[in-house]
Amino acid sequence: MQVEFSKIEGRSAAFYVAAAALAALGIAGTYSTYLLSVHGLYLSGMTNRVPWGLQISMAIFYIGLSAGSLVVSGLYGIFGKLEYKPFARIAAYLAMLFLIAGLLSILTDQGRVDRVFVKPFTYLNVTSMFSINPSLYSGHVLICIIYLWALFREKGTLTKIASFTVCLWAIGTHTGTGAIFAFVPRELYNSALLPPSFVAAALSSGAALMILVKVAVFRGTGRPMDEKLVIWLGRPLLAVFLVCTLYVLLIENAHRFYLAESREAGMFFLFGGFHSVLFWFGLIIFGCIIPAILLFLRRTGTSVPWVVFASALVVVGVLFERFLIVIPGLIHPPELFPGWEVTGTVLWEGVVDYSISFYEVLQALGVLGIIGFAFLMGLKFLPLAPTEARALAA
Amino acid sequence: MDRREFLKKGGAVLAGTSGALGLPLLTSCGVNTASEDSPLAGRKWGMVIDLSKCQSDCTACLDACRHENNVAFHNDKRWDIHWIRKVNIRNQESEDIEKSVLLLCNHCENPPCAQVCPVQATYKREDGIVVVDHHRCIGCRYCMIACPYNARFFNYKENEEWPNTDFPKRSHGVAESCNFCAHLVDQGRRPACVEACEAIDIRALHFGDLNDPESEVSEIVASAPVKRIRDDWGTEPKVYYLGL
Repeated sequence: MQVEFSKIEGRSAAFYVAAAALAALGIAGTYSTYLLSVHGLYLSGMTNRVPWGLQISMAIFYIGLSAGSLVVSGLYGIFGKLEYKPFARIAAYLAMLFLIAGLLSILTDQGRVDRVFVKPFTYLNVTSMFSINPSLYSGHVLICIIYLWALFREKGTLTKIASFTVCLWAIGTHTGTGAIFAFVPRELYNSALLPPSFVAAALSSGAALMILVKVAVFRGTGRPMDEKLVIWLGRPLLAVFLVCTLYVLLIENAHRFYLAESREAGMFFLFGGFHSVLFWFGLIIFGCIIPAILLFLRRTGTSVPWVVFASALVVVGVLFERFLIVIPGLIHPPELFPGWEVTGTVLWEGVVDYSISFYEVLQALGVLGIIGFAFLMGLKFLPLAPTEARALAA
Repeated sequence: MDRREFLKKGGAVLAGTSGALGLPLLTSCGVNTASEDSPLAGRKWGMVIDLSKCQSDCTACLDACRHENNVAFHNDKRWDIHWIRKVNIRNQESEDIEKSVLLLCNHCENPPCAQVCPVQATYKREDGIVVVDHHRCIGCRYCMIACPYNARFFNYKENEEWPNTDFPKRSHGVAESCNFCAHLVDQGRRPACVEACEAIDIRALHFGDLNDPESEVSEIVASAPVKRIRDDWGTEPKVYYLGL
């Protein structure tokens, strides 16, 4: 199947405004990281009871979004759906950027950023998921570069091999990211279902983002695209991923709720505060159920605007899901004295608060600005976008 | 390209990438392993806290610890550091039973903090003391996430106070926790909290070698009804409580 790719012109006022805005965000985020590394992480919303906050939530969100390449390269490389080849370049480029965004978010969250480039190599600890994952992420970026190179050079065999390898590696990447939380002894973290749940949500957000990016690129450049290709990514693909996500979340929470030893933590997660509102409304209802219904219904599921709307809901819903992986498990206290209640202490011992600080928001937006800018530059200087995309049957 | 060739080449790409990234993993194996001729080998330091003697309004051990180790206090619950702290607890069934419990790092035999530290900045010494190398810590705070006892702290702010200039203070951006005053133990002394408790003749804290059956701590552990906090978690704490 012959597909023509070309750079976008990138000379419109909208392009320059978007590029300038993203670059400004990148600079603001970098300045915020500088302030935190000079003055201390107290400028973030984190505390001794909630040592991870927005940056880690965003890191795992970005890494999950890179699953878009897994979806497209899987469709093309494993299932042989040649009509998705036109999207492979954008998918691989975006996956690379999102993995870099994940790594940047983790990097800028460290107390001693100056040591990050040396100590992990000289004193690597093989039992830490924080050691294993950067290797998985860097490997993933490397394979994405090989995949992109093969796609640019139209190397058929290498493309298939790299596309197949990206899929295998991506499963490792997303499982490993879930394991950062699943493999520590905290009540709301240590669940063997967390890695598969992470993979399911990654596939949902990755597919949803691919839909949004494709529609934006094709509409933005005025290039022709067969709507069937977007519709099929939404229905059945995204809809099925959403059902899988809901299923794993249901089992995970039912299991926690059913066992007496974790019931209190389960109750806290489901009905214990603002995070529960995010869970029920942000994730379950608006992030999973409503988009799944929109996609499954024939009338809305076959209309591009509705599919785009459903995809936007999913991306936001999965952002909440990532936040819900990190924060509730930290603000919920470990039960050190079963049968006793803590009445007084110098430390926050009970349920504590976490609120996102201005500096954290700047950091998160900064990472978004950097990769958004890199994406726009990629479109302008690399032949990433196909001149047209057609369904095979058409 | 037939299927066999495809799998062969695919496997080669995967193995190549894994190999390149896995090499540092293999080379790092064996770091911090015990050596038999080390002066630390063979010992297993532990502590017994007798709650029946510990008085709820006494802060001698807390003050001694803070002074000896330059532990940061910013007068803000969010960022204050407590290598040792007091927690008052009340029985949920009979509300008139209250206790004041000292909490510190348990120096677990299976420390989750050391297991997850990506740079081996937190590790268990051969004598069982869990320490943090503050010059190696990258400040990722994964150890704080992994410690189920909330016994680890992070320097969110620069510590302006430096009362004990014989002991270093930490820069902001690194994690820390009780280290059983390893610098004193290495000189044949006991942790500052234990010495302070003894100095005011309360003697609620006992410290010694759990591997030595004749040590005071071993004798208490062997003969008295001691408890460890959340023994069921499998972390094997080396801090025992009498009267918990």
